[in-house]
Amino acid sequence: MKPLRIKFPKITFYRGIAFRYSIFFLVAIALILFIPLVVGYGTSSVLIMLQAKNDATTKTNQTVTRIENVLQPTELVPQTLVRAMENPNISNNDVMRIAREFILQDPYVFGTCLAFEPYQGEPGSYWYAPYTYENNGNLRSKILGSKIYDYFKMDWYRFPKITGKPAWTEPYYDKGGGDTLMCTYSVPVFRNLNGIRKFVGVLTMDVSLAGFAKIVSEVKVSDTGYGILISKQGKIIVSPIASLTDKNILDVARQGKGVGTMWAIRDMLKGNEGFSNMDGLEAKKRPSFLSYAPVPSTGWSFGIIFPEDELYDDMNSFIKVMSWIFGISITILLITTVLITRRMTRPIVRLVEATHKIGHGEFDTKLPVRKSKDEVAQLTRAFAEMRDELRSYIINLEETTTAKEKIESELKVAHTIQMDMLPRGFLTPDNWDLYAILNPAKAVGGDLYDFFYLDPEHLCIAVGDVAGKGVPAALFMMVTRTLLRAKALAGIPINMVMESINRELCQDNPNQMFVTFFAAVVDLKNGTMEFCNAGHNFPLVVDGGVTVKRLKERHGFPLGVQERGRYTSGFYTFSDREVLVLTTDGITDALNTREEFFSEIRLQETLLRMAGKSAREITTGLSDEIEKFSEGTDQADDITILALQYQVITDIKRDVMNYEMLKLKNQLTELDRIAVKIEEISEQWNIPPKVSMELNLVIEELFTNVVFYAWDDQSEHEILLELTMTGPDTVQVRLTDDGKPFNLLEKKVDDVFDKPLEERKIGGLGIHFVREMMSEVLYQRSDNKNIVILTRKF
Amino acid sequence: MELNEQKTSQCVILGITGRLDTTNYNVLEKKLLELIDDHNEKILVECSKMDYVSSSGLRILLMALKKITMVKGKFVLCGLQENIREIFEISGFTNIFEIYGTQEEALKVF
Repeated sequence: MKPLRIKFPKITFYRGIAFRYSIFFLVAIALILFIPLVVGYGTSSVLIMLQAKNDATTKTNQTVTRIENVLQPTELVPQTLVRAMENPNISNNDVMRIAREFILQDPYVFGTCLAFEPYQGEPGSYWYAPYTYENNGNLRSKILGSKIYDYFKMDWYRFPKITGKPAWTEPYYDKGGGDTLMCTYSVPVFRNLNGIRKFVGVLTMDVSLAGFAKIVSEVKVSDTGYGILISKQGKIIVSPIASLTDKNILDVARQGKGVGTMWAIRDMLKGNEGFSNMDGLEAKKRPSFLSYAPVPSTGWSFGIIFPEDELYDDMNSFIKVMSWIFGISITILLITTVLITRRMTRPIVRLVEATHKIGHGEFDTKLPVRKSKDEVAQLTRAFAEMRDELRSYIINLEETTTAKEKIESELKVAHTIQMDMLPRGFLTPDNWDLYAILNPAKAVGGDLYDFFYLDPEHLCIAVGDVAGKGVPAALFMMVTRTLLRAKALAGIPINMVMESINRELCQDNPNQMFVTFFAAVVDLKNGTMEFCNAGHNFPLVVDGGVTVKRLKERHGFPLGVQERGRYTSGFYTFSDREVLVLTTDGITDALNTREEFFSEIRLQETLLRMAGKSAREITTGLSDEIEKFSEGTDQADDITILALQYQVITDIKRDVMNYEMLKLKNQLTELDRIAVKIEEISEQWNIPPKVSMELNLVIEELFTNVVFYAWDDQSEHEILLELTMTGPDTVQVRLTDDGKPFNLLEKKVDDVFDKPLEERKIGGLGIHFVREMMSEVLYQRSDNKNIVILTRKF
Repeated sequence: MELNEQKTSQCVILGITGRLDTTNYNVLEKKLLELIDDHNEKILVECSKMDYVSSSGLRILLMALKKITMVKGKFVLCGLQENIREIFEISGFTNIFEIYGTQEEALKVF
């Protein structure tokens, strides 16, 4: 028995529960961790920004304060001195002395000058401006003013003179003066001259920008953040960025990309305080923040610029570390999840493997043992139950199948026996033609036909149909046939035969089976028939193709119905070329796919179409027609057809022209007579030499066989050889002997050929010649005689 | 049937004339056995005048072929008539016998 084959999809790890579970789990975990990380990042960056802003603003203000601390004494001292100068008791030299004292003490102020209006300082001098400055810790003095150094045109002199108020200059390089980059604070000096308060000059304090540079460079924000001090006009006073020195901040800012930069710078120049985004002023112009505040005393502004990204540097490195930790955690999680889920699904995988094996018929496969009571264990137990059920089912099935196969093979044998019992050699006198077929619906059937000689001139034919099918019907049919042969050969009239069979069948018939039966005795000589119809279909008689008639006579109940049943009989005389067709109801009741019956009408139509054909052609033709009609529908009932054709011809045996006969003794010397006779008729009937030789050869082989094997005794026997010209190109040979039965058709001769020389045997070669050379070979054992009929067309 | 025996330096040529059948196959059988017993191991059967052969005759030829093959001799047929050749074909003997069209052809193989 073939094992059941079930295809299971191969479970790979990637599609397995373990993998999917791990993935879902990890995605969930990742989401849970990721959200706070993102929120934290956002919040932190805002906080960092705010803190940076505070920090920058504080630092800005602190720096501004520091600058103011430098500037205030620088302003306060000259203001005080100038006010003192309005007192006539204080001389210019006094003022200069105090101023010099001041610059020595103040680290930021490095020079002071008292510059006068023309002819106001020194009589006769157009320019008079004594200047004292610090150089490497020593004080030096010189008088400024010349055509080259015309201080009247310089800002530090002009602004206070014009406005009458103290003023800071823009940063400038004082060539010929301090000879350094500086800013100068100038205070106008007024004196009462003749009661009028009159501008007489300015007192200045020079502040070295290097001093501010120190303050500014000390401002530290993030890594590269830097301070920047600009004048009222935007000139960059100090900045640690070398490229910015001496430039105007507006020019630098204009090179920036964003509009925000200009806006921030303008706001800064207006003297406002604030915090803004901008592009950096350094070469890279990184996005930066600017914190700025004014220096009130001078109108300058101080700002701190620091790159945005550096602000987040710490946070970014923190995030980086966090990401690593995060990644490692997820990996560890993945591994543990996979390990855990695999551990959980391992029993399922084992179960799947076991299932594969069981699926291939290995029912002894052990299922994985689970001690726990979880779902997998339940599944395994359920599966084990299924396997056991399946195993017992398969065993059952195998037993059933074996039993069934046994019955089937027995039925096959029964079929062969039943079919073999039906007469096959359809040997009849030349003016009679008989043929019959039986197609059982199952292996064995309940139909039957039979024909046999009662004596050389009387033929008994019969057709029957047992109610039911299969083995019981077949057995009943066998009994009926046996009874028919036994009774009919007793030589009593056919109706008596039927009565007798009926009686026998009725006795011991517990299953109440019965058979419809038609039997007839045909007189072969005069073409008459006495028949008895026991409840069977009416036989049909087809004439030359014009009509079909039914022999509508009933002579009693079906056999096996009524023990005391009486049966009569009818007579029929055949006309020339009439065919008697006996059938069973399997023909008219044959169904097609549309559930239509083949019917009596179709049967008659078919027979009319085939009028004039031989009995064999009629029976097989009708059978084919039924098969065609049924369109593959299962045959429901057995089908039996028997056709008997009659021809009124003058006895061809008496026709000397076409018939030759030799009565031979069982001696080999008779072969000469045979050879002579064949030569004779070949000439008479124009048989070609090749055919003539073949006939001679075949007859010799058969005759020799008969002489050697037909009789065990040594006495004389007669062998009859008849030669008939049955058509213009057909010779029939008939050889009759009364020896032991020998059916040459059953002899196997296949093994005489294609064998090497050593294995070659001569036996069977003669019969092989017969089969090869003749067109048709028939054998009939009849009347205790072997009759072989050979036909040779040429 | 008539048998005609001719001994040459190469072989024995045995001519068959007429019908070889069940009535006379023993004549041929006797002749062939004689030849084989006399150590004539090279035999050519000339069949051009044989006009009939039945299975009894074929049996003798087969017997001779087997015997001569056993002593490593040579048994050859020649000159078969068309009808006879067909019988040989039907029996499958053309596959086991060495058959030549004419005596001249056949003599070349000895």
